[in-house]
Amino acid sequence: MSNIEGDLLEWYSVRVGALGKRKADLKFILDVVRLFRPSVIRSFRPGYNPSFAMYRNHLTTAWRNLQRNKGFSTINVAGLTLGLVCAMLIGLWVNDEEQMNQFHLDVDRLFVVTSVEYSGDEVNGGYDTPGLLGEELPNVFPEVEYAANYGWTQHHTFAVGEKKLRIPGNFAGKDFFKIFSHPVIVGNRLNLLNTPESIVISRKMAISFFGSPEEALDKTLKFEVYKDLKITGVFEDITSHSSEQFEYIINWQLMVERNSWMKDWGNSGPTTFLKLREGADWTYVDEKMRAFLKSYSEDYSELDRLELGLQPYGDMYLHSNFKNGKISGGRIEYVNLFRLVAIFVLVLACVNFMNLSTARSMKRAKEIGVRKSVGALRTTLIVQFMMEALMFTLIAVVLALLLLNIVLPSFNLLTEKSIQSPMREPTFWLYVAIVTSLTALVSGLYPAVVISSFRPAVVLKKATSSLRSSSVVVRKSLVVFQFALSMIFVVGMIVISQQVEYLYTKNVGYMKDNLVYLPITGTVGSRFDTYKQLLKQQPGILEVTKMSHRPMGIGNSTGSVEWEGKDPHTRPTFTQVEVGMDFIKTTKAEILLGRDFIESKSDSSNFIINETAMKVMGYTDPIGMPLKLWDIEGKVVGVVKDFHFNSLHVAIAPLIIRVGKGTMWGWTLVRVDPGQLPEALKAMENMQTTFSPETPFTHQFADEEYGALYKSEQLVRQLSRYFAGLAIFISCLGLLGSVIFSAEQRTKELSIRKVLGASAVQIVSLLSNDFLKLVVLASLISFPIGYFAVEQWLGLFKYRIDISIWVFLYTGVASMVIALATVFFHALRAAIANPVDALRAE
Amino acid sequence: MKKYQVGEFEEIVMLTICILQSQAYGVSIQKEIEMRLQREASMGALHSALIRLEEKGFLKSKGGESSEGREGRPRRYYEVTALGRKALDYIRKNREQLWSAIPNVAVKAKFTSF
Repeated sequence: MSNIEGDLLEWYSVRVGALGKRKADLKFILDVVRLFRPSVIRSFRPGYNPSFAMYRNHLTTAWRNLQRNKGFSTINVAGLTLGLVCAMLIGLWVNDEEQMNQFHLDVDRLFVVTSVEYSGDEVNGGYDTPGLLGEELPNVFPEVEYAANYGWTQHHTFAVGEKKLRIPGNFAGKDFFKIFSHPVIVGNRLNLLNTPESIVISRKMAISFFGSPEEALDKTLKFEVYKDLKITGVFEDITSHSSEQFEYIINWQLMVERNSWMKDWGNSGPTTFLKLREGADWTYVDEKMRAFLKSYSEDYSELDRLELGLQPYGDMYLHSNFKNGKISGGRIEYVNLFRLVAIFVLVLACVNFMNLSTARSMKRAKEIGVRKSVGALRTTLIVQFMMEALMFTLIAVVLALLLLNIVLPSFNLLTEKSIQSPMREPTFWLYVAIVTSLTALVSGLYPAVVISSFRPAVVLKKATSSLRSSSVVVRKSLVVFQFALSMIFVVGMIVISQQVEYLYTKNVGYMKDNLVYLPITGTVGSRFDTYKQLLKQQPGILEVTKMSHRPMGIGNSTGSVEWEGKDPHTRPTFTQVEVGMDFIKTTKAEILLGRDFIESKSDSSNFIINETAMKVMGYTDPIGMPLKLWDIEGKVVGVVKDFHFNSLHVAIAPLIIRVGKGTMWGWTLVRVDPGQLPEALKAMENMQTTFSPETPFTHQFADEEYGALYKSEQLVRQLSRYFAGLAIFISCLGLLGSVIFSAEQRTKELSIRKVLGASAVQIVSLLSNDFLKLVVLASLISFPIGYFAVEQWLGLFKYRIDISIWVFLYTGVASMVIALATVFFHALRAAIANPVDALRAE
Repeated sequence: MKKYQVGEFEEIVMLTICILQSQAYGVSIQKEIEMRLQREASMGALHSALIRLEEKGFLKSKGGESSEGREGRPRRYYEVTALGRKALDYIRKNREQLWSAIPNVAVKAKFTSF
């Protein structure tokens, strides 16, 4: 630079001699102006190589700063750590959800058959398919390599000699293990289920019956006391990454034998899985399957039909909700929700860092001034502060990893997962690296830019307080942003909690408390009347009936219903269930018209319908009206008030309740006296040993069963509580940092105010008011957004709460109280400090 | 592919520095150019060219003594580096090759039309 100056001056002196002073002056000015070129003013490439020593100095400075401001550093690192742990946990959970079912070989060739039921104006999608579909598909479609039906995982009793166990498992078509690659330890995968009497069991089941998987091969198990099954193989215990869980698979033929309705192509229920041949185009098969059932079912018509289709099996776990016959979301919605939450919580923590670093930067203005004076470029300063942010983030990451290992077991417990500590997974470290650098970048960039922009002359000369009012505005907006986000979380948490509470406490239409189910086993089915008589005489037993399904999961539907005055062109779908006598009395469902099924009347072919069914049939007083279900012709004897027999996500379907004749299976429903529950349970167990000595005694409570329906909602409620708490906590850390800073900045002002007679109360309110305004502004921003978000979520439920204004009032007031409490103590400290201390320090 | 990227003015600056040998600094270069080529070279243009050439590695510079009229500001002397010489040779060779490739008639026609 100085050599250019020299050149200019030399020219000038030459020109003064040659042209005179005025012209030389003008030329000088012209030359100077023409020198204003970026490349001449300063080279943009660093003209020197920053040495290692400089970076080391950056680290030293950063470390000293961290130590000098212990409070700030703790707040910073704590916020970041919490945010990171939260992000990691959610990341692991999301990853685990996405891993579901992905372990099968050729998972891209595995499909599940979907079925969309059109009946009149109604369209219902699901996975219910005809029971013979699995065997038929490979014969019809050359593209299908294997197909297998798959039933419902249920408990069944198995016996070897004296040993009897009730174990959950399933039935599946013979090619099940050719479709899915659950590891087989013993036996040949290619002919595991080839005979009707074959069963394949898990390692656990093999060990509990025979001691080892090898011992179990070719042995015989007695199924439900009447049928010998031969073990043709043993598979490794099913991993938690499989959505299908079972301890054994029995050949499908036995299922069809036990449920003759499955032979009819007009009925559906089981799931069907299939594997396509290599290179087959699934969309083509999907298209061809639509009208597949046309030639199989006599009832098939344009108005009432079951349209089959395909869904990639890998997608099924996360995308299993149907809307108007199309797959629309499912668990993926929660996965995405949590993904968003993780990002937000991390952003909150980053915002803390930004806020505190920018605030604190005022104290470091002198350092910047000196650094710039001795020649630091702005880029070097930015690098310095980014490094500082990186250092903080790294400390937080290390702490977060430690914390992660500590909380992972309880997180697993909460989410019912078995996520392993991911420390040995290279991909995990890749993610950690990405998140670390992103966090450092997001949290460090703004402070770095602000701090490095200080002009050395100004910061070295003047007091620091007059600096940069724009950064104050930014910091205030950051606090508003944090609180707005936290309040959205809190509103979400409250509404989710209320909805879940509603789900649990809603009157489902019958009394689910003190209702016990027992599976019908042994001779209970055939001698049910005697069993019932004896059981009712026991202490604590109030009423007894039976039911083919559990009241919470009736899913057996049919279109074959005829009544007087029915429009012959329509075939509305009815759900149907078989029950015993005294059904209404036992379940305490409310009867609207007519009566319960009673022993003394010959009710064997009579029906009770629910309110919705009555409306569908168009009756106002259906008592005594004839009704035909399949070939059962009878009369309607009662109308029951609608009760929920499915989850509250879906509307109550029309229901026909009929008397079960000689059912060998299903459930005994027992209403017990809560005061005598132990006696009642003992009595039930004793009865079990009399009537069905082969089977171990198991029972379920209706309310517990009901709770299981809302597992994912329960999970969302639990997690949302933690995350909302965390968000508020992190935001308060930020607020605390801000108030500490602001009190420090204004020490002199406050002291002078006190000297002039301001009371402690006035000082506290002066400091708090600023922040309260921010919280109020945050609530104004967050409430509409929160309302909209929560409405979206509630839309998933057919039966839901309304959002009350109190949710928002409560959130607003609570946030304000929390913010006040955070601010208060520090404000108080500033208010009761002796003004002399602050003023003397001049 | 261009082997060396040298602009027209940059080439002139480098050649001038070669002429001036050890006496090449801002003012002398500028004077030399103006004298020999009868064209004005502004200081701005010259200095940005010098900086650019130094960044490219074609020039190196060292600080020197001050002299009359500079009020104590040092001169900065420029010298063409080996790479710079190579670049100049390369440009020259390219030019000559092109000239020699022009058919005689065309050259004559061009010159006669003057």
